[in-house]
Amino acid sequence: MGNLGYLTKEGFRNLKVNKLMSVASVTVLFSCLMLIGIAFMLLVNIEAFISGIESENVIMVYVDMEATDVDYIKLGNDLRSLDNVAAVENVDKEPAYEEILSELDEGLRTYLSGLEENPLPDAYRVTVSDMSKFNDVVNEIKHLSSIERVYENSTLASQLEGIRNSVTYISLGMIALLLVVSLFIISNTIKVTMFSRRLEISIMKSVGATNSFIRWPFMIEGITIGIIAGLLASAAVWGIYEFGLSSLTTMLSGLGTGVQVEFIDYAPYLLAAFIGIGVFTAVFGSATSIRKYLKERKFVELED
Amino acid sequence: MIKFENVSKKYDNGTHALKDINLTIDKGEFVFVVGSSGAGKSTFLKLMMREEVPSTGSITVEDTDLTKIKKRDIPKFRRRLGIVFQDFRLIPNMTVFDNVAFAMRVIGTKEKKIRRRVPYVLSLMGLNEKARNYPQELSGGEQQRVALARALANNAEIIIADEPTGNVDPQMSYEIVDLLMRLNESGTTVIMVTHEHSLVRCFDKRVIILDKGTVVSDGGALIREAATSHINAVSEVSNEYVVPPEEDYSAYTQSRQTPESQEDSEPLEIQEDFSVAGGDE
Repeated sequence: MGNLGYLTKEGFRNLKVNKLMSVASVTVLFSCLMLIGIAFMLLVNIEAFISGIESENVIMVYVDMEATDVDYIKLGNDLRSLDNVAAVENVDKEPAYEEILSELDEGLRTYLSGLEENPLPDAYRVTVSDMSKFNDVVNEIKHLSSIERVYENSTLASQLEGIRNSVTYISLGMIALLLVVSLFIISNTIKVTMFSRRLEISIMKSVGATNSFIRWPFMIEGITIGIIAGLLASAAVWGIYEFGLSSLTTMLSGLGTGVQVEFIDYAPYLLAAFIGIGVFTAVFGSATSIRKYLKERKFVELED
Repeated sequence: MIKFENVSKKYDNGTHALKDINLTIDKGEFVFVVGSSGAGKSTFLKLMMREEVPSTGSITVEDTDLTKIKKRDIPKFRRRLGIVFQDFRLIPNMTVFDNVAFAMRVIGTKEKKIRRRVPYVLSLMGLNEKARNYPQELSGGEQQRVALARALANNAEIIIADEPTGNVDPQMSYEIVDLLMRLNESGTTVIMVTHEHSLVRCFDKRVIILDKGTVVSDGGALIREAATSHINAVSEVSNEYVVPPEEDYSAYTQSRQTPESQEDSEPLEIQEDFSVAGGDE
């Protein structure tokens, strides 16, 4: 049927004629997509934050103040010879001391800089290659000599691991639920639109319009609703994200890392997914509801 | 030619709507189908439109066997019918022009052809002036003529009119049947379902009377009178059907010879395809 132009026009006319319904559908789909988007960005951020923490999950080994330079070097070699150690690096105590001093108030700073010796111990930063054997490495290090203190945050790491899992499951569950909700709502909206146009459908049927012809304007309508809702939702998530990011990063950086996820990196995926979801729900919704609707009306058997 | 052979229709809910119907309607015939409510009129029409299939028996329209037609061929079959409903079924937010054009658009007719064809069918129905009006601005009779114009738009071979005068005042009813009659004189088969006996009596045409799912009478004027009294008798006993007050159509019958509004009572010449120079597109 070489009348795609007419059908498409008809779809847009339907949108205009049923303005309220179209606005309602766009709003509903938009809200669902926006929630999905926010859940997704939250998930991505938490994911990035935890990976950040993990990559910083190092063991600080502070060297005994009494230790000589020879002891210090020996300890370094011992650490390097351990299994499961990716890297061992010297921590220069001078810049660390400077940094601490700069954060103190004037008087204390002057007093401390008067001291000849740097009170900080020498230290090694040990990076573990296999995180699952983190605790074994810590135990081995504790048995080495010339060590004053071993500092590690494995508890934090394992806690974060747990948080990550639950966050992932909750977000995925939420996204799935919202998808179902939007599908349901869109197909319902289309059903209502279709009901309001049952007269047209019955006339179409009686003059011999094919089923695909009848379906097409509804499809166009649904797809347009999907695309508009997708675009709006992407824009909204972007806005909300940029606005909320600053507070989010502040909150997370309090936990020790400054990982920042840029919205723009995920924007194309999000936009594609949104429009995809919008179009899918619209097409699926209109296909199923027209089927069901026409069947109920018994204007004609539906299979073509 | 429409042929019903031993057609019975029983619905799932147990209603036996039609029982062993046998009849033939020739090409170019004008047939009234009369009966009380529940007599099986609507089932009869639904079967003819292939909205329902008979439980037993077969229906043939021209060369199409409706009991064997493939579902995807149903729309094509329907395009050969022009259906007019009691409630007009005009789309309220479309103008008269668009309502008629709609029937052509939904079967994929080119806009160019629509722009030529619609004014033509509207002029046949005497509605040229009303092309830009909306249905609710028209009288019942005018609305029904729009519906008729829509039925004609796609060159229907068979016009099926389901109580076309049900929502129309008596004078207009007469005019609508008169229009159908003139369409018929130009070669279109017309099947009109009605319960207005008095209207039927004004026209000397074949009348098929249905009662409780069977054909109780099929034929011309004399049998028709007999059958009408049969129905009246039945309804008096069963009280199922109250004959509506008889409208006096005699004035219109006479005016048909000397019409006031329509000067010519010649058959409407419907051009098969309203193409001045171009031919089919």
